[in-house]
Amino acid sequence: MDWIFLSELTVNGALTGLLYSLVAIGLVLIYKSSAVPNLAQGALTMLGAYVVLAFSDNLGWPLWVAIPLAVVIMFFVGIGIERVALRRLAGRPIVMILMMTMGLDIFLRGTTLAIWGGSSRSLNLGVSYDPFFVGDMLLSRIHLVGAAVAIAIFIASVLFFRTRMGIRLRAISDDYLASWSVGISVEGGVALSWGLASIVAVATGVIWGEVQGVDQSLSLLLLKGLTVAVLGGLDSILGAIVAGIILGIMESVGSFYLDALVGGGSRDLIVAGVLILTVMIRPHGLFGRHDIERI
Amino acid sequence: MFYRLSGVHHNSYKSDSKMFPVRTDRNAIIFFLLLGLAAPFLIPSLYLNGYVLPWLIWTAAVLGLNLVTGWAGQLHLGYGAVMAVGAYSAVHAAKFGIPWEFALLIGGLASSVIGSLFAFTALRVKGLYLALTTLAMQFVMDWVLTHSPAISGGSHASLQAPTFALLGQDITSDAGLYYVAFGWCVLVTIFMLNLKRTGLGRALVAVREKDFAAAILGVNSFYYKVIAFAASSFIAGITGALLVATFYFLAAPEQFAVHVSIQVLAMVIIGGLGSIIGSYMGAALILLMPGLVNQVFSASADVLGLEIGVETLAHIPNAAYGALIVIFLMVEPLGLGKLYANIRDYLMVWPFDQHKK
Amino acid sequence: MAQNEKNPDELILSLNSIEVMYDSVLLAIKGVSIEVPRGGMIALLGSNGAGKSTTLKAISGLLKAERGKVSRGDIRFDGKPIGDIPPQDRVEMGICHVIEGRRVFEHLTPDENLEAAAPMSMSRREIASEKERMYEYFPRLADRKSSQSGYLSGGEQQMLAIGRALMTQPRLLMLDEPSLGLAPFLVAEIFGIIQRINKEQGLSVLLVEQNAVAALEIVSHGYLIENGRVVMHDTAESLKKNSDIQEFYLGGGEGKKFEDIKHYSRRKRWLS
Repeated sequence: MDWIFLSELTVNGALTGLLYSLVAIGLVLIYKSSAVPNLAQGALTMLGAYVVLAFSDNLGWPLWVAIPLAVVIMFFVGIGIERVALRRLAGRPIVMILMMTMGLDIFLRGTTLAIWGGSSRSLNLGVSYDPFFVGDMLLSRIHLVGAAVAIAIFIASVLFFRTRMGIRLRAISDDYLASWSVGISVEGGVALSWGLASIVAVATGVIWGEVQGVDQSLSLLLLKGLTVAVLGGLDSILGAIVAGIILGIMESVGSFYLDALVGGGSRDLIVAGVLILTVMIRPHGLFGRHDIERI
Repeated sequence: MFYRLSGVHHNSYKSDSKMFPVRTDRNAIIFFLLLGLAAPFLIPSLYLNGYVLPWLIWTAAVLGLNLVTGWAGQLHLGYGAVMAVGAYSAVHAAKFGIPWEFALLIGGLASSVIGSLFAFTALRVKGLYLALTTLAMQFVMDWVLTHSPAISGGSHASLQAPTFALLGQDITSDAGLYYVAFGWCVLVTIFMLNLKRTGLGRALVAVREKDFAAAILGVNSFYYKVIAFAASSFIAGITGALLVATFYFLAAPEQFAVHVSIQVLAMVIIGGLGSIIGSYMGAALILLMPGLVNQVFSASADVLGLEIGVETLAHIPNAAYGALIVIFLMVEPLGLGKLYANIRDYLMVWPFDQHKK
Repeated sequence: MAQNEKNPDELILSLNSIEVMYDSVLLAIKGVSIEVPRGGMIALLGSNGAGKSTTLKAISGLLKAERGKVSRGDIRFDGKPIGDIPPQDRVEMGICHVIEGRRVFEHLTPDENLEAAAPMSMSRREIASEKERMYEYFPRLADRKSSQSGYLSGGEQQMLAIGRALMTQPRLLMLDEPSLGLAPFLVAEIFGIIQRINKEQGLSVLLVEQNAVAALEIVSHGYLIENGRVVMHDTAESLKKNSDIQEFYLGGGEGKKFEDIKHYSRRKRWLS
């Protein structure tokens, strides 16, 4: 038993998992505020990365200008999407809202790729690719950077939900009608959550763009992000982090052993399996809340 | 004036439970039925088998999905996977020598069994979680198909379907294949129309609206969810098998991958959740749309003198398709079926004033 | 009747023959006129489905969430017509509606519930002192201020809902069936607190209740709503003594047994 190798797998898996957490946090932000699962988060991530590239590659601006600019633009894109597409569906059955976000996902993906083309582009954050050794374990620097970003966003989110605005967002996700009745603008709160999720999408897109290039596969992160979000609890940011780590490790270690048995590609299978098991055994995830339905 | 009615009023239970209470509707249906039967003689076979046939088959698929998503309210993102089960089972059975009639049935039953497994998830969760589980199962199915050469011939191979035959007769002519598709679509439509009038149909709607409240009324929601999934999966299985047998002529994993599930769901939504005529319209729109959009874009590019890259052109159908879903949900969430119903309501009492019934 | 002669400046709220429609087809309120004097306590009584909650929602603007709207007549707050402004703006004007069924924010603590309702313009210190005031009015809440609100008892949730509404600094407090599902001693406690707030702060109160007995004890005037119309309005004293009210809402007057009332066929036509 090669412990070094196993621990390398584990740590790298955990770091990759934290990158999945980035996607999950975007999902949780919106769900936590409006009880809407945003299936377009993957497309937003991809769009965010392309917007950054548009500034840095096409206009030649440095990344430390391009990224904040993209953040601002995507913030308003997120608010715009909520305002135009989702607001009228408030109160409709969840089937429709899910389909709407799915339709948005397809539309955004198609439009983004139509504008910028499907070939993979690279995003260079300036993180060196030199191997980074902790003891005998080989770790990837960019994964470490990504993991740090994920933790930073996590901390920021936790603090945010303790502020007055954050408490209002949580109130909105509990009860729209009661929120209106005490003067909370539900529309404004939901829009804000979309804006924030779009900001997270930019961070996610940039990190993942560095890791695997900017192309349409970015939007496929959605399934993994969803699994992490569900496993952690759709309204728990802490859950997104913890579940990301768990899923990353399971995927990394599991696929190593499983690939030998089934001839490859078992990563996705593991993710799908975790999703199914979570939903069947404990649908509200590790840290999520129980939803009480009244007749 | 068109309907010669001043609204739809019934004065007996019998007349209320007729399938087509309005005479004009009945006449219209008969007209279209006759048109469908005569189609091979009216439409060149290129269009018949290239457009009309797949439209009919996909409509049957959409009707099946409407049963579980539109009426029973269970969001199903894995429909393609269920169709795949039916398709592959039927093709393998036929290759094994079993006559196609039974092969189709086997396909339907296999799908039904697998599809009912989804119902077990539906027992515990609903809404988003159910959708995610069906999506996950779709991915599992995709994976199984691409990784088991025994079933599918592997990810790059495809499985050749033996010549389609019914009742001992080989059916290879264009018209023959068309009639098979037409017959199946009509069968499914009649089933769905009848379902609306039965206790089972009402129970499904009760389950959709509030399943624990339905349970209080004695509607065993678990049982009905299982039935909904089983029935819709049966339809999916046979439809998938027919799709392979009469249209694709070979079975390959991409034919039933996740994008297909989403496509059928889009047809359901755009057609209108639970609307039977909407199923026809939704299927038509989604099938025709990519081609239309590409043509429009190319034409306008020529007119405006713009260059549109190949890359762009490849993705525009997707963008348009997503835009369709978004726009429909914004403007008329109940889909084309509702638009049709609105027009019909308006014409029914035209030129008199409109009052909601 | 004393109310008709009232100077309009003395009214904090007036509804003038409003009609409310749901889904553009269902006429729920067919002509209701109500006046609430400043600092007054008014009750809206009536049985289930009469239209009392709908009236409150028309005033607070929550109708929109249920696809309803005021199709005729107008509502004036402080003499100014409200028109169609959204619910959160009406709260800012000073109208606060405690919706029926308590509807606290279940996953937030009581403390957070109160904080969520505080207007954005309040400073941290003001919020803290307001919260202290709420805990003083509702001592039961102080004990539970850090548990999840969904786990509070019915009475505690009702107190939380009222306290939360008070955080918005209202000038008119509207309560929809606060006594629903509560034990009588809790009802007395809550009503006592409402009376106290009304006296101490001059807060106007519009109380919707099916529990006419309790309501008529604390209000000065009452309106009786049936089928979307006001069928009677009078002082609380007169309403309590009115034999029809006693029969329909107060459980029968002297000498009448329940068995006699049970078979009473409602042929009585209310004057419109």
